Amino acid sequence: MEEQLSLLDLVWNATFTVQFVMATLLLASMVSWYMIVNRYLYFRDANDEMYRFEERFWSGIDLSQLYREGNERSADGFAILGMESIFRAGFKEFSRLAQQPEMDSEALVEGARRSMRVAVMREEERLERHLAFLASVGSTSPYIGLFGTVWGIMHSFRGLANSTQATLATVAPGISEALIATAMGLFAAIPAVLAYNRFASKVEVLNNRYDTFVDEFSGILYRQAFAVRTREKKAG
Amino acid sequence: MNTSIYAKPVMPRIVVRPALATIMIHGLLVLLLTANWASMDRERIKVKPLPNLVNARLVDASDLQPKPKPKPEPVKPKPQPKPEPVKPKPEPKPEPKPEPVKPKPQPKPEPKPEAVKPKPEPVKPEPKVQPESAKPTPKEQSNRDALARIAQEELSSVSNEPAAELTATVDEISASFSALIQRTVISYWSPPPSARNGMECELEVRLVPTGEVVGVRVIRSSGNPAFDSSAENAVLKAGAFPELQKLPSAEFEKKFRRLYLIFRPEDLRY
Repeated sequence: MEEQLSLLDLVWNATFTVQFVMATLLLASMVSWYMIVNRYLYFRDANDEMYRFEERFWSGIDLSQLYREGNERSADGFAILGMESIFRAGFKEFSRLAQQPEMDSEALVEGARRSMRVAVMREEERLERHLAFLASVGSTSPYIGLFGTVWGIMHSFRGLANSTQATLATVAPGISEALIATAMGLFAAIPAVLAYNRFASKVEVLNNRYDTFVDEFSGILYRQAFAVRTREKKAG
Repeated sequence: MNTSIYAKPVMPRIVVRPALATIMIHGLLVLLLTANWASMDRERIKVKPLPNLVNARLVDASDLQPKPKPKPEPVKPKPQPKPEPVKPKPEPKPEPKPEPVKPKPQPKPEPKPEAVKPKPEPVKPEPKVQPESAKPTPKEQSNRDALARIAQEELSSVSNEPAAELTATVDEISASFSALIQRTVISYWSPPPSARNGMECELEVRLVPTGEVVGVRVIRSSGNPAFDSSAENAVLKAGAFPELQKLPSAEFEKKFRRLYLIFRPEDLRY
């Protein structure tokens, strides 16, 4: 009965290199799962946030009112993310530039656009965080696992060369143990690749939304800038 | 100004849930793998020559095997023992016998026959206490009523247990059959002089529901052909275990259709 190979025993009695490979893969798998769940939650939040903000934005609310609400929220310690942060960046820049009378409406909108572009890039950066790690786990961990397997099999065949009576039983545990490394590599890689592809497409979608929003918002700003300047011209 | 927003770390917001999920996923995986491997173990019966002393105890264990017995016993026995010593001296002989019988009706019809002789009460297996109270009847008519009343009370209090006990006893029954097979095979087994401590060979024995052995195969050799064939011969000489006919067929299919026996000489002094 003790002859029955237990998985844990195999791992425990593996050679050092194979054990090291397995530990690396376990770590990679754990970190990548951590990141998968982390990203999943983050994207879910970003999506919710975006829908919530868009609804609010197009509800006809006064934009400076919306900006003030954001101020309050950030004063309460909430991090402002996603579309709202883009809006805030653009609006802040716009209102700051609007106070300088020598700037014409084109320059106002151009300045706001620029700062929104910066905000979009920062958002993008946030969204893509960890994705590179998932990609590299997905692409390298099968190879790492394969390395462990090859090493383990090499080792067990070397043992076979030394023994006078060559039976399957002398190599089988070694090979079995070595194959665990490949299994672990695949176990780490498959979810990572799937998650990477999914998240990458989600980043794409969100980025498109942000770009669209920047365009829409700068249209509104342009209208406002024009109105402000003509009013000033009439007044002055 | 913008930087004040961006300086806020975004990460700390999401830490606990991913960490928990990660640990859960990996823990579950490890659990699954290890659990599966352990449960895939076949049930094996070890055949090792035991000193006679231990052998004798094994017999006892299989006879006592019905656990349910103890429950009713502590209550009932009280009234019974009293009348016994006082009244009929000749009685004592019959008395002890019924007692071993009593346990049997409770577990099921099967264990009874297996226990060997007690044929008397097999007819009514369902009421466990009734057979008991019935036995006293011939002896003590006067005590009978009182006994019956007590029995009734006991029954009502214990009535829930039989079901649970019955399921428990199925395992015990098959354990006792395993023990029986083990003893039978050992009695036919004469390890060759070349047997050494630490040798071990595993046989697969195929049985039919009548208890006959229809096939023996060495599935793991000890490395010593004489030892292997002595083990094989032991099973062939045993030939059949007719007691298995009493086993419920589901149990038989599960445990005894293919039987794995491990032979391992122990306490060898050479």
